[in-house]
Amino acid sequence: MSLEIESMIRYTSPINPAVFPHLTFLLLGIGIFFTAWFFVYEVTSTKASRDMFKELLLSLVAALFSGFGILFLLLWVGIYV
Amino acid sequence: MRLPAMAKLQFTLFFVLFLTIQTLSASVDTISSDIKLKNVDRTVDISTQLVKVVSKIVLENSGKSSVKHFLFAVEEAAKNNLAFIGAKDSNSKDLRLAETTVKGYDYVKFWRVELKEPLNAGATVNVVVETVFTKALQPYPTAITQQEDQFVKYVGNLYTYSPYYTSTQKTSVILNTKTVESFTKVKPFSQVDGTIIYGPYANVGPFTEKELSIHYKNNSPFLTVTRVERLIEVSHWGNIAIEEVIEIEHTGAKLKGPFSRYDYQQDHHSGPASVRAYKTLLPASASDVYYRDTNGNISTSNMKVKKDSVELDLRPRYPLFGGWRTHYTLGYNVPSYEYLYHSGNEYLLKMRSIDHIFDDMQVDELVTKIILPEGSTGIKLNIPYSVTRLPDSLHFTYLDTKGRPVISFIKKNIVENHIQDFQIRYTFPRLLMLQEPLLVVGFLYTLFLCVIIYVRLDFSIHKSEHKD
Repeated sequence: MSLEIESMIRYTSPINPAVFPHLTFLLLGIGIFFTAWFFVYEVTSTKASRDMFKELLLSLVAALFSGFGILFLLLWVGIYV
Repeated sequence: MRLPAMAKLQFTLFFVLFLTIQTLSASVDTISSDIKLKNVDRTVDISTQLVKVVSKIVLENSGKSSVKHFLFAVEEAAKNNLAFIGAKDSNSKDLRLAETTVKGYDYVKFWRVELKEPLNAGATVNVVVETVFTKALQPYPTAITQQEDQFVKYVGNLYTYSPYYTSTQKTSVILNTKTVESFTKVKPFSQVDGTIIYGPYANVGPFTEKELSIHYKNNSPFLTVTRVERLIEVSHWGNIAIEEVIEIEHTGAKLKGPFSRYDYQQDHHSGPASVRAYKTLLPASASDVYYRDTNGNISTSNMKVKKDSVELDLRPRYPLFGGWRTHYTLGYNVPSYEYLYHSGNEYLLKMRSIDHIFDDMQVDELVTKIILPEGSTGIKLNIPYSVTRLPDSLHFTYLDTKGRPVISFIKKNIVENHIQDFQIRYTFPRLLMLQEPLLVVGFLYTLFLCVIIYVRLDFSIHKSEHKD
């Protein structure tokens, strides 16, 4: 038995479209910062000083923030994925 | 082909079952002699490119038993032009209509109109039946020059076409012009302003036909939308994108001789039958509207945001004369809360299957495609009128893996009365929304992992001499 329209509520986005630009700047900013840190770390560290755990952690944080940042950038510019 | 005995029996059984179902679904009615039409007040509006007939019927049951439904007939000459039919009772409540046939009258199109309450013997009831016909007005002459007015010919039935006996009837034909070349004269009739009134005529038998022909000036836009493809893309990030690809042709009297842009610009009375611009109404919440064709944006357009709609004043790149056509794309966004409802993971999309293109529009073919979010299942479509459903397909766009389900259907011969809502139900697990950002995250992380591996590889030809 399917639900009637009266018992349903209007669907809104889980995130208000008005904050898409702010989220883009915030998340993408943090993402770029960690990406930069990661690359700087990669090129400056030597074989001896390299820490595998730190590399993986830095890149994970960078990927997470950049990924969500890029998504909100797409939504902001009108590419509703 | 040889079948085992059991399979043969099964096959026969199914065949018989199939036949029974077939005969049951094709309903056959009989014409009740108890029903009489006490009075019919018919209004035929031929002031636009459509023929809109509103029949106010007073139905009388002169029999002994009560009647639950009656038949409404459309004559053979007009039945292929019929685009829309609807019936209402005296309280403006919609009555149920079903197409039906009557034995011996295969050439007539019948509708069975179900009454809300059974009509008792001797009682009367008021019913309003509205019909809209497309392509029923023929331009005559069929070709005119730029300066000439457009004249069209309407051929219809002087009497209400009905399977029942009609006691009295009256027909008003709305022309909205005094320029009438010729019209059928059957007394009593009168011509007042832009209206010709026929009747009252008394005691007309069932299935009576008498030609009613009117030749008059009609410069209203004769625009036919030959094809419109409406694309509705639902995003659960709070947006519904709508795009319409529209092909329009001027189907009035064809342009004869040359077209002078100079005359057209100089004199505003030039080209009275041509179409310079028309208005399209969009939902009030429409935003990011674009109007373009293969060359790009068509800048000769205006947008007015009104209280209950967004009004677009669309001006094609050139005026449309008889036989000329144009093609463009119109798109806009609406927020999801206007049309999308949910309860948990159950979603319901309620939208118009076609929207307003211009006033008194006629559309030859409509293709509506609805793109649902990736991962939607259990899709059920519900439309208030019959359409041809096309096979479901998949659509691939940004950040898609297995494709978004596309529901599409076709409907032919559409008028404004078909601007009604369809409903689509589907199930979408909310967590699946995270799939898109995680795809980007995964891609970036793989990129970083490649860098991590790369810095550990040694591509130098000789061994470094001193240790790091």
